[in-house]
Amino acid sequence: MKKLSIIIAAAALMLLVGGCDKIDINNTHKPFEPISGGKTVLIKDFTGVRCVNCPAAADYVHELQHRLGEDRIMVLSVHAGFLAQPVGQFPDFLTEEGTLWYNDNSSNPLFAVDYVSLMDGNTLYVEQIDTPVSEALSEPRLFSIDIWNTYDEDSRRLTVENTFTCEGDSEGKYYATVCLVEDSIVGWQTIPGGVDREYVFRNVFRGTLNGAAGELVSNGSVFFDDSFVVTNSMELDTIYNADQCYILTYIYDYESGKVLQTAMEKIK
Amino acid sequence: MRKHILTTIALALGLGLTASAQSFLENSQVNGSFQTDAQYYMRDNGIDINDLYGKKMGINGFGKVNYTNGNFTAGMRFEAFLPEMNGFRQELNGVGLANFFASYDNGFIGMTVGDIYDQFGCGFVFRTYEEWSLGMDNALRGARVVLRPTQGVTLKGVYGRQRFFWYPYLERDMGAEEYRGIVRGVDAEWDLNQSIPAMNDTKFKMSVGGSFVSKKQEDMSLFYYIPENVGAAAGRIRLGYGNWAFSTEYAYKINDPSAINNFIYKEGRAILSSLSYSQKGFGAVLQVKRIDNMSFKSMYTGKQNDLDINFIPPINYTHTHSLPSMYTYSTQPNGEMAAQLQVNYTIPKGTALGGKYGTKLAFNFSQVNDIIRDSVIDHGNMVINKPGTLGYSSPFFGVSDHRFFRDINFEVDKKISQKWHLTAQYINLYYDIETIEGHAGAPVVQANIGFLDVTYKLNRKQSLRLELQGLWEKEVHAGYEYEESEKKDYQKRGDWAFALLEYTITPHWSFSIADKWNYGNPVEEYRDHYFTGTVSYTHEATRIMLTAGRQSEGVVCVGGVCRTVPASSGVMLTVSTAF
Repeated sequence: MKKLSIIIAAAALMLLVGGCDKIDINNTHKPFEPISGGKTVLIKDFTGVRCVNCPAAADYVHELQHRLGEDRIMVLSVHAGFLAQPVGQFPDFLTEEGTLWYNDNSSNPLFAVDYVSLMDGNTLYVEQIDTPVSEALSEPRLFSIDIWNTYDEDSRRLTVENTFTCEGDSEGKYYATVCLVEDSIVGWQTIPGGVDREYVFRNVFRGTLNGAAGELVSNGSVFFDDSFVVTNSMELDTIYNADQCYILTYIYDYESGKVLQTAMEKIK
Repeated sequence: MRKHILTTIALALGLGLTASAQSFLENSQVNGSFQTDAQYYMRDNGIDINDLYGKKMGINGFGKVNYTNGNFTAGMRFEAFLPEMNGFRQELNGVGLANFFASYDNGFIGMTVGDIYDQFGCGFVFRTYEEWSLGMDNALRGARVVLRPTQGVTLKGVYGRQRFFWYPYLERDMGAEEYRGIVRGVDAEWDLNQSIPAMNDTKFKMSVGGSFVSKKQEDMSLFYYIPENVGAAAGRIRLGYGNWAFSTEYAYKINDPSAINNFIYKEGRAILSSLSYSQKGFGAVLQVKRIDNMSFKSMYTGKQNDLDINFIPPINYTHTHSLPSMYTYSTQPNGEMAAQLQVNYTIPKGTALGGKYGTKLAFNFSQVNDIIRDSVIDHGNMVINKPGTLGYSSPFFGVSDHRFFRDINFEVDKKISQKWHLTAQYINLYYDIETIEGHAGAPVVQANIGFLDVTYKLNRKQSLRLELQGLWEKEVHAGYEYEESEKKDYQKRGDWAFALLEYTITPHWSFSIADKWNYGNPVEEYRDHYFTGTVSYTHEATRIMLTAGRQSEGVVCVGGVCRTVPASSGVMLTVSTAF
């Protein structure tokens, strides 16, 4: 019995000693470690002007973007859902495409990491995006995207030429969506405890140039160095600040909705 | 000669084996149960179900078989969700052997391998269980050892990985370690009345216990240093003297940043104390509970009802009738202060109020508030609940003004005569629907609820039962002004009426019709009737139940753990049996 007690006590002691890791509270943040490779990642942040938890989530995503590189992480703030519906002085950032991607969900903020829309399997809360982002960054790059914008100040006519170049052999049905993004818009936003009347909205999705699903780039086999060009144009709405507008283009696998590569370029 | 010897040995062995097998089989016991719930969904524009999204049917089923032979027990449970019924997690979709185990226990030592269900103390640091109605199963697949080195002393050790729907368990399988870590724990319990001969027959009862549980999960965060080993410990004591009983358990958890607590590094604490008194015809229980940052999951990114290592017991009255159970409290692992008082009294037979059969009275009061959270200093700034910090500080006995829930109810249960039986209850309810169900900005539910449940026996075999229920909200009812964009938050709000008539022919048949009417919903188009008709047939342990009609949106809660049930229309069949 004495031996048994010693064995039990030893096992319990081992568990106690090995079973707890205390983190130094002054050192809880990890340093940034660059991830090699050229794959970019698209984070669609489904947000709303009257969503009280959305500003904190947007901060989290932008911190992630800041840490991992603005050239690697592309954020698209898609205002969708009932908390995005404008009431009174709240700005209207709703778009038809955003509502389609939102897929009739019922809460904000929600995220899709490298997926076109909020579908089964890729609807994430902000705290859950670290791992998918990290994984997506490590994936091989199948396409590179080159965006060439031509903007006429007088007519406000914008023409976008996207060139997609294959960086490996593959097979599939590939679509591309060309989005207009406006950054640094000031307006009303619900925050904890009230309303921030001078909130700065980042990377606001204003609509697409070729529809929510985009357009076909290639159907079938693609080989290294193949390239495809997609051209679109639009007239910029007068309320948009052209100095703060960007084109964000992504190419994706039509069957799975998985985004393969994303690029962003200022229109001016 | 040699051939004869071999034949003789073979015969002897054969006879021996046959006798042994016969004896083995004679000692065997097999029991089990089966259940299938199937729901056929129909479009119903009346309650806004305009699209079934390609899902016409949901079927949940299981079969469970246990085999016992002396000290040995083995069992398995097979499950099929093809596809899962609406309101259950989509990850359940699938079919297969969900659970199996083998166990040997000779009184001194017990060992189990496979899927383990167990609980340490009240569950503050460890509880694995399966709840079919919630679609929840957090069984630990691994091993358990139970030692009883001396009379009254029980030592336990468990080790394994929890079930996460149909995800693989082994690290060599893709993603096993990504979704949850390993759980290991020990527990000791000492019953002094059994151990010390002088205490065997005394009025004074005492037992003490302690547990330690640790989870190990890989740190996969890009931002924060996540502790890969998180430990939680608990101590408990139970005392009794005559009609009095007192028990308390205190638990402590080391830093455990997770999605549930917004990645703060504060330690967790919990305490539950209970004092009770009982004598013939009278019983009272007073309970108090404090929970502070005590979510303990084997996956730090998890936010839903899965992979919970621990369990936080609710201390609220469990309502079973339709309208009173519409707003059931769901425990808040991030923090709550709760208290409950339950008093039962039976007015004796033969008195003016007790009548011929006595009258049962029950009173219950329970309330849950938030804990107080004060800011902490982070790099010179005062912050509250900021990720990467200690989050907040909280005085142990401080109670926040923010009330989550309150239920005051009074029940009378009376057998009036051989033919008549009556149960009536009044409930005054306060329910913070924003906190409990996440309806942002929705006004609190403050309601008066009452029901009358009357049974009349027509004869020895047949009876009629009538239920009349009403729910009246104080603030939200027809005419309440709401914002059009927030309409969806009012889907089950406002005043309700419910009636049910049931005709039973014992022991086999039961027929019922019911209507639940949201007549006082502030949104006119939600003032719907939810009719149902039910037929059930029971034969020994087999029950077949067919229900047709509408089901309103609501929550199903068991033990403070809840799942949302969407509104539906159609036919539901339940078949269950046991042997």
